[in-house]
Amino acid sequence: MKGELGQFALAVGFAAALTGAVLAGLGAARRDARLARAARRFLWAVLAAAVGAVAVMEWALLSHDFSLAYVAANGSRETPTLFTVASLWAALQGSILLWALILALHLAFSARRWRARALEPAIGWATSVGLAVAAFFFALMLGPANPFNPVDGPIPADGAGPNPLLQNHPMMAFHPPMLYLGYVGMTVPFALGMGALISGRVDDQWLRLTRQATLVAWGFLTTGIILGAWWSYQVLGWGGYWAWDPVENAALIPWFTATAYLHSIRVQERRGMLRVWNLSLLLATYCLTIVGTFLTRSGIVSSIHAFSASSVGPVLLGYLAVIAAAGLGLLAWRGDRLRSPGHIDSPLSREAAFLVNNLVLTALTAVVITGTVFPLLAEALWGRQLTVGAPYFDRLFAPLGLALLVLMAVAPMLPYRAMEPRKLRERLLGPGIAGSLTVAAATALGARGVERVLAFGLAAAVLWSVAEQVGPQVRSRARSHGERLVVAFGRLVTGNRRRYGGLLVHLGVATIAVALAASYRAGAHRDLVLRTGTSGTVAGYTISYEGTRAHATPQKLTLSARLVVARDGDRLGVYTPSLAVFPGATEAVGSPAVRVGLAQDLYLTLVSSPNQAGRVTIGVFVNPLVTWLWLGGLIMAAGTVWAVWPARRRRAGPTPAPADTPMADGVLAGSRS
Amino acid sequence: MTRTVRLRWWISAVVCLGAVAWLLTAGLASNVQYFRTAAEAVAERTADGAHTLRLAGAVVPGSIHQTATGVDFAVTDGHATVQVHHEGASPELFTAGAPVVCQGHWVNTVFTSDLILIKHGSDYRPPKVTTAKAAPQPPKAAP
Repeated sequence: MKGELGQFALAVGFAAALTGAVLAGLGAARRDARLARAARRFLWAVLAAAVGAVAVMEWALLSHDFSLAYVAANGSRETPTLFTVASLWAALQGSILLWALILALHLAFSARRWRARALEPAIGWATSVGLAVAAFFFALMLGPANPFNPVDGPIPADGAGPNPLLQNHPMMAFHPPMLYLGYVGMTVPFALGMGALISGRVDDQWLRLTRQATLVAWGFLTTGIILGAWWSYQVLGWGGYWAWDPVENAALIPWFTATAYLHSIRVQERRGMLRVWNLSLLLATYCLTIVGTFLTRSGIVSSIHAFSASSVGPVLLGYLAVIAAAGLGLLAWRGDRLRSPGHIDSPLSREAAFLVNNLVLTALTAVVITGTVFPLLAEALWGRQLTVGAPYFDRLFAPLGLALLVLMAVAPMLPYRAMEPRKLRERLLGPGIAGSLTVAAATALGARGVERVLAFGLAAAVLWSVAEQVGPQVRSRARSHGERLVVAFGRLVTGNRRRYGGLLVHLGVATIAVALAASYRAGAHRDLVLRTGTSGTVAGYTISYEGTRAHATPQKLTLSARLVVARDGDRLGVYTPSLAVFPGATEAVGSPAVRVGLAQDLYLTLVSSPNQAGRVTIGVFVNPLVTWLWLGGLIMAAGTVWAVWPARRRRAGPTPAPADTPMADGVLAGSRS
Repeated sequence: MTRTVRLRWWISAVVCLGAVAWLLTAGLASNVQYFRTAAEAVAERTADGAHTLRLAGAVVPGSIHQTATGVDFAVTDGHATVQVHHEGASPELFTAGAPVVCQGHWVNTVFTSDLILIKHGSDYRPPKVTTAKAAPQPPKAAP
């Protein structure tokens, strides 16, 4: 019964999305207000259908209705409730269902934001494209990825339960939806871009909507990536947080292009340039999310995150070909109308810095995509199995990442158009000194490696540069308005949320750079082989092994080692890393025990349970500054929220601070032709 | 845009693209790890030199010797057998007959590995659904 209900919801969703897409397109083409309104009503029907289908699936999961193949494969009576709820995204079909729900939410939210402008052709076409995308994903579920298929043969008494790795940490309930919010959210700027290309007309408001939609999706994607790294660190128990796994890369690649867009869009706002490039970035970002979806869901890469083999791959590849062809075709068709007359006057200008930023981010995209896809190409073309080692990514990422830090320190000081070199030298003095002192201090304190030390120095330069952009402004405002410093600071950063939100994000990135440089493949690591009652010492920590305890539940068998940790004679506490064996699984799932600290983490894993001689192997990692990675992520998220938070509107009309006044861009195309 | 400006743009674009392409090829060339079965690894031993590769095979029963810093064992794919010297801890389910992938390189005729992975198919999930279908019974905790 639930199966039929679910199928019905999917069919309704598909029909509503398709009808809405057609109506919105017709409404935009004919400038018909009634059609546009009707299309919006269908959008609400799509949302209702997606919510309904997800509700039916959750109901089936929670009531252990094993007549559904998905529930039989991913649910079990022993799985705790939180993971049963999260089983919605534990496998392919359910994850597409979550995808459809999040897409419907994004579209509905956008439609509400756009409702005052629903009659504009660009918005009408954007609605149409968004609904067409939704129709595709509903069709995917009605076809090769149907979550409501009945189980083959007799209904089993119990199911298999989710993948052991997915039921080992509550983070599993939060990290994937966050990532999807970002990944799927990139559909909205893509739809707006396509809307602009189809209608051939855009204006400042369109630019603002597109930028905000990208920023929202980018914020979610950033948070999702950081949470993913945290999950990897807390759950996988290998001592690290980033392995250049194909699926991690799949999330990172569109992040690079979206970041590039968020910067180069400023050049379009101020100077009217790079229009075709910016639309290409939106198109590329969306295509790359589909590439990522293809990588993770076609079963062609083996990865912790990858879903099992399926027939969804070819369909997604076909979809990718269609959207890439449509986007490129539209760009070629409209390109000439969009091309702008301006050019960059001087290499010492903000727009030139944005251009370099885009080059670096594009290079990063190329690096990560090449390393991720190369093994697939090698196998397809030459029939050779190979992997691209992490050193490839590390070696190429480091210089490009450092280049981004240089830009973050210098670029915000550059004005548009041009700057005198002498003046720039003057302004770079502070960050330069801060950076050099940090490099000297880090070297004196024993930091080794050119890239590592440079990262510390450049992060300090970024910090100083941000301070120089806020400090003097606060002081002059306090003087001219007669306000106290705190008040002046608050009013300044609220007055131009976008600029100061952006600077806060930069601080977060600098924090992450420091944490990465300090901890990435840099901590002390030793495996201790211990018998009950013996102890070993790693980097000043004394670890005593006091025995192993087994704990069996129907869900899993857990072995945990009791370790007493001390340093300099002070007892720091008892830590119990464990290994869990799930029935039927071929691999044990380790849970590390981490003593979290601001300066360093002590990370303990149970590598192998007692052997015949009663000896266990304990993996000991001392990871410096890892906590700052998560704090940096938090700062980035806070900066994004600050930037997207709507400014208070005054009835008198918009009064943005002078620094942020967008140049009257007029109608980008259309009226010009 | 004047002709010289455009030319300058094209030159810088080509230079940038060339630089990125060079970085990519150089990076790939030195960091690709071939995946070889024991027989392939033996056949390509001289060609691979000290290059890092991934060796796949099953652990030969009776060949496992724990050492002070790791474990020595042999892997086979049924056609050839390779002696492996591993530095570091071995994973929990490392036992005789286990399908493993070792990452390392040749030192003379011994494969020196620094990472052992227990191999599972491209699918990380054991095929449990099929057994549940065949004989519906609640799963039992593994010993």
